[in-house]
Amino acid sequence: MDVTAPTETSAPVPTAGGTDAPVWPSYDPAPHYDELVGPDGGPRPAAEALWKHLARLGPEALAERQAAADREIRAIGVTFTVYDEGVGVDRPWPFDILPRIIPRDHWQLIEAGLVQRLSALNLFIDDCYHDQRAVSEGVVPADLVTGSPNFRRECVGVDPPGGIWAHICGSDLIRDDQGFWYVLEDNLRVPSGVSYLLENRMVTKHIFPEMFRHYSIEPVDPYVGHLAATLASVSPSSGDPTIVVLTPGIYNSAYFEHAFLAQQLGVELVEGSDLVVLDDDCVYARTIDGLERVDVIYRRVDDLFIDPEAFRPDSMLGVPGLMRAWKAGRVALVNAPGAGIADDKKVYSYVPDIIRFYLDEEPILWTIPTYRCSDPESRTFVLANLPDLVVKPANESGGYGVLVGSQATPEELATAAQQVEDDPNRWVAQPIIQLSTAPTLCEEGIAPRHVDLRPFTLMGPDGAYVTRGGLTRVARRKGSLVVNSSQGGGSKDTWVVDAPADPGIAAGFGAGDGSAP
Amino acid sequence: MSHAAATRTDDDVPDDDAVRDDERSDTMLLARMAEAVYWAGRHLERAEGTARIVQVHTDAHVDMPVGEDVGWEPLLAIAGVDSEFAERYSSASGPDDARAAEEDVIEFLLHGDGNASSILASLTAARENLRTARPVIPREAWEACNNLWLASTDHLAEADSREGRVRWLRRVIAGCQCIHGILLGTMSRDEAMSFLVIGQNIERADLTTRVLDVRSEFLHPRGADDPYDVVHWMAVLRSLAAYQPFRRAMPARPQGGSTLRFLLQDDRFPRAVGACLTEARAELKSLPHSEQAQEACQNASMVVASAPVARLAVDGLAEFLEDVQLALVEIHQRIDETYFRPSFVGWEPTTALP
Repeated sequence: MDVTAPTETSAPVPTAGGTDAPVWPSYDPAPHYDELVGPDGGPRPAAEALWKHLARLGPEALAERQAAADREIRAIGVTFTVYDEGVGVDRPWPFDILPRIIPRDHWQLIEAGLVQRLSALNLFIDDCYHDQRAVSEGVVPADLVTGSPNFRRECVGVDPPGGIWAHICGSDLIRDDQGFWYVLEDNLRVPSGVSYLLENRMVTKHIFPEMFRHYSIEPVDPYVGHLAATLASVSPSSGDPTIVVLTPGIYNSAYFEHAFLAQQLGVELVEGSDLVVLDDDCVYARTIDGLERVDVIYRRVDDLFIDPEAFRPDSMLGVPGLMRAWKAGRVALVNAPGAGIADDKKVYSYVPDIIRFYLDEEPILWTIPTYRCSDPESRTFVLANLPDLVVKPANESGGYGVLVGSQATPEELATAAQQVEDDPNRWVAQPIIQLSTAPTLCEEGIAPRHVDLRPFTLMGPDGAYVTRGGLTRVARRKGSLVVNSSQGGGSKDTWVVDAPADPGIAAGFGAGDGSAP
Repeated sequence: MSHAAATRTDDDVPDDDAVRDDERSDTMLLARMAEAVYWAGRHLERAEGTARIVQVHTDAHVDMPVGEDVGWEPLLAIAGVDSEFAERYSSASGPDDARAAEEDVIEFLLHGDGNASSILASLTAARENLRTARPVIPREAWEACNNLWLASTDHLAEADSREGRVRWLRRVIAGCQCIHGILLGTMSRDEAMSFLVIGQNIERADLTTRVLDVRSEFLHPRGADDPYDVVHWMAVLRSLAAYQPFRRAMPARPQGGSTLRFLLQDDRFPRAVGACLTEARAELKSLPHSEQAQEACQNASMVVASAPVARLAVDGLAEFLEDVQLALVEIHQRIDETYFRPSFVGWEPTTALP
């Protein structure tokens, strides 16, 4: 073993077979790449200490710790809301105590890749609302910009501070059966999940305190400080800015997160009705001491609902005149309205070219080859190969409307084919990437379950920050690829550790191009 | 403003008001949040207060010979839910069963459907309000409230037996105390805290007057030397956690005059009406635009301070307490108008317009 690798303390290891003995004889992730277990059935280098520790604990102690974690989550009140027949129900946040481990070497590349990507996307958004050079120079078709439902005419010509439109990005990353990393989605509208990332770590510290002696684990807490700094950096006023978090309200599925972030940031959590825009184009909050000027709004309300004067007149969640205030430069909105232009699956397919065009760099992170059904040749290919593809609506998020060809019934495939033919513009298709797995505590014991990863990237005029690790989401049903919590997914704490990486994987960075074969 | 510093222009001299506003902007408190913490304070107090009263009544009930007891209706009157109860349970008890059954009353007070101020309903409302106010209260306080609510819901079946009831009520009282302890020990004495303390004290004062009001009806049914008078007054003191403090402050046999003086006018016992009003007023002083609410508070204090306690112990207590309750409602209305309704008088931008 490498001397720098984490080593056991004096406690004896009871497993007779030594460190390589399979702790879970029936654990078989094949044919998928497993995050912790190598092809020989033993732990990957970074997972060795955890592996030994789990073996020592045994199944009963593990079950006890899972129960303790569930109790804690219930007591802390970490919830998300699901809608069942129109009625919102608070569910305890589903959390699996077995952490997912990522070696720091990988993370540094991922971090660089995410910052590169968000930098390019911000340049792209700014370009969309100004000269549209990317269109005139043939990088993307005009229709991708002005024909997009996420293009906001109201934003044309606006100059947010530093040219930054997407300040907070929650990317979805996945790994294929070889362990290579891909970006699956860039979520630039109102990405959620960071509160769960922070809470998962808090719970893990209480459940596995001893593991923090074996590993040097990158902390996740600094995110809040960086978020505060990013928000402050776009304030239009000099002096201490007044920052607020704007929530749709207590019935929103992410309300827990909105309240959590406001509390962590030490700022007010406002609803639309708490704010008012006066004739001076400034935004004011209704406080017990009268109206107080607000400088920065971290809004967790979708574009179309933020201002009934500018967008949907029936929105009860917004603030009349908010767009006017933003355009006048009297208030900062985070993320800026219109940032969603760079967040759809058709733009996604152009991101490698967007990176090359604006930054003159090769993309560090891979993009999944994406077939745009609007293109006749691609459409023919997609229709002929549906069972081997994932078909997605170009403009939805949260896993809605996604069809996994290999798991679909003939009827579902026929419906999908019809939909693609009827409105090819709405659809894209990608090869099925078999997500990597991670050991997860299931009813049948520790078993492999598919995972993805949502890190969060912050970007302001003063620089960028990426969470160390991210929110690992896990599909709790065997074989399922759906990790969204709205559809029954769970979560794991994610450790970026100072431990050796698997050889070979790092070489996979920067080699992909993302154009459809 | 003084012009003594002649070398400076007016623009250079920080204006007192401007400094005050700058300091305030750090702790901006939304009107909606202020309302949420105020109600959280009231609901927590109501849950705890009701729990104490039920617990003490159960104890006192055991002390009374069968037939001498006052039944369970007084509890409904104290909680102000007699009509709701009648509506709910009238069909259940037969015509020959004139007195409300213990189980029904207890169930109704602890968690009955249709009782918006049951202990469980109060805890639920407190939890909802603290959930809204999470950004302005310590995380631990929310967790403690959530935990108390979870435990109370999980063990609801306990509440229905006399033996389990004691445990259930104790948990509620201890849980509320725990939340207050966390708030006192970890929360900044900011404006949010002021609203919480004000809500708590108004509710406390209200509860103390209700206990006195209802209990007084059951006093001296056989004239002033009713042998059970002392038992009643002891129960009054106990349900307000006031027995021991009373004994220390007034080493006399608990009887009408001294008990009333203590529970109305004492300014050191935290559940005495006078002390609650003093505390609420002190908190109001630290809030902006509170002149009217302070005045209402002072009026209530004057009513209480001028109470002719010796005479009230014999006659006219109910009318007097009604005056006190009206004065309390007045305070609430001033606070509501000033802070929670968007049209209040001082409503104008505090930051200079560009």
